[in-house]
Amino acid sequence: MNEAEGLPLQNPENRLRPLHPTDTPVAIVDNEHIVRKAFANSPEQGFETLFRLYYRPLCSHALRFVYTREVAEDLVGEVFYQLWKTGGYVAVQYTYRTYLYAAVRHRAFNYLRDELTGNRTPVSLDNVPELLLSETPQTLVEYDETYQRLEKTIQELPPQCQRVFLMSRFENRKNQEIADELGLALKTVEAHMARALQQLRKVFIGLAPLFFLVIH
Amino acid sequence: MENIVNKTVLFDYFSGRVSPLQKKAVEQWLAEPDNRERYYEWLHEWELSQLQMDANWQIAFDKVASDVVGQSLVDEPPPLVRQRRIGQIWLAVASVLLFLGFGSWLFRDKLLYETVQTGFGETRSVTLPDGSEVTLNANSSLRYARWFGRQISFGQWTLGGKQRVRTVELIGEADFSVRHLPDQQRFVVLTPKGLNVTVLGTQFTVFSRERNTRVVLRSGRVQLTLPRVHQRPLLMKPGDLATLDRKGQLALVKTVHPEAMASWKQHRFTFELTSLREIADMLHENYGLQITIKHDQLADRTISGSFPARDANEVLQLVAQLLQINYSREDNRVTFTD
Repeated sequence: MNEAEGLPLQNPENRLRPLHPTDTPVAIVDNEHIVRKAFANSPEQGFETLFRLYYRPLCSHALRFVYTREVAEDLVGEVFYQLWKTGGYVAVQYTYRTYLYAAVRHRAFNYLRDELTGNRTPVSLDNVPELLLSETPQTLVEYDETYQRLEKTIQELPPQCQRVFLMSRFENRKNQEIADELGLALKTVEAHMARALQQLRKVFIGLAPLFFLVIH
Repeated sequence: MENIVNKTVLFDYFSGRVSPLQKKAVEQWLAEPDNRERYYEWLHEWELSQLQMDANWQIAFDKVASDVVGQSLVDEPPPLVRQRRIGQIWLAVASVLLFLGFGSWLFRDKLLYETVQTGFGETRSVTLPDGSEVTLNANSSLRYARWFGRQISFGQWTLGGKQRVRTVELIGEADFSVRHLPDQQRFVVLTPKGLNVTVLGTQFTVFSRERNTRVVLRSGRVQLTLPRVHQRPLLMKPGDLATLDRKGQLALVKTVHPEAMASWKQHRFTFELTSLREIADMLHENYGLQITIKHDQLADRTISGSFPARDANEVLQLVAQLLQINYSREDNRVTFTD
């Protein structure tokens, strides 16, 4: 962990001066190069490039956690917004890609956990640079296991239940609409939703204590 | 150990198709700080090859760009233009203003903004140019740009064109029913205490007066931001009541009757363990009355329920009756006694 903290700080000039690529012993690869060049012109161009390269896959990744299109887009939008608004883009350690993925995953994970467990984590606190430092192999694996378990849980739902759940979440349809379209009673749709959420909650109940251990 | 983890293994790992031992190896591989960049690089590549949804980055970029650029202007007096080519616009606006001289600068408020005001004891409904409905409670004012929600072009210059934000400024209290536009234009309510309410097609009530600022959401979704403080935007869900107190603290609670906060639209007053002190504040804000309460014990007594009342006198009578107390009124001065 000490190494992880020490490494990016050792030679901050290299990380923070992307404008002169000759200084940098090309640790920064492919896309990052384009992004940093764009940021050298203006923050606007920088962000436009970031959006172009990463917005779609980030939304797609967030969706693996939250299963609602709008929420996924909002989460990703907020991460970009925060990075821009706070001026954090001037001094991004690591790569932009790492920053964005780490922040989006953290947020998506917390969103779903809060939704399923009924908690309400105060939204103000996530300092992404700190978050990156506190990231351990265990937390990374934890996140990966979470979306994989969610997928598995949804796949294992009875077909009708799965269908109702995806219509409600992914397509953002009202229970009544789903009932009408599938020719079901409203009560049945509600029961399917309750069951799906019950199953998903189990993903977190098994996970929560472990997760907290890792954080502290 | 390192050499068994490569791109293929990691892709399989992301897809949840590795053995427990391989997973352990991935975990060990991740302990090497340099590998973390690699991990995210491959995660990105994997995600691109396995997309779960499509999303339009251009729209998202415009939205975030206009939010960021727009909010940096909020603290300055005229929050006129929120868009990307802000420098050019300002240049144009500045030269036009110079040309027209200081005189018209004095009247720029009238030229650029539409202002709707209500007096004491008056409520009024307005339909904004985009079709959204706003009902103003007493002693409130709402200001919005004349080109609100529309696009005006002068050759290559565009006023309010690319900006995807409809902005209104509210002092006092109002209920909103926002129309959702096909181009996803956001609707933002700016309040004097620096709390901004961003809307995504919705019904909600904003209360923004001296004593505190409150927002209640009935349906849809809104986002609250406090640009002066570095706080993350707060997403509200239906039934949420957000309060900004005098110290600038933002708090969120659930309320069972979000519609109660807009009952003044039907000339009803809804109280929920509301103290006489708070009612006095309300009477002051809505009717301009100066209220004196004889002693603290009296001020702490509360009322619950929903009651119809058309004017200040009816409210006074109602309160006096419910609490079994007396009041005297001379012009705008009211005194409550036991």
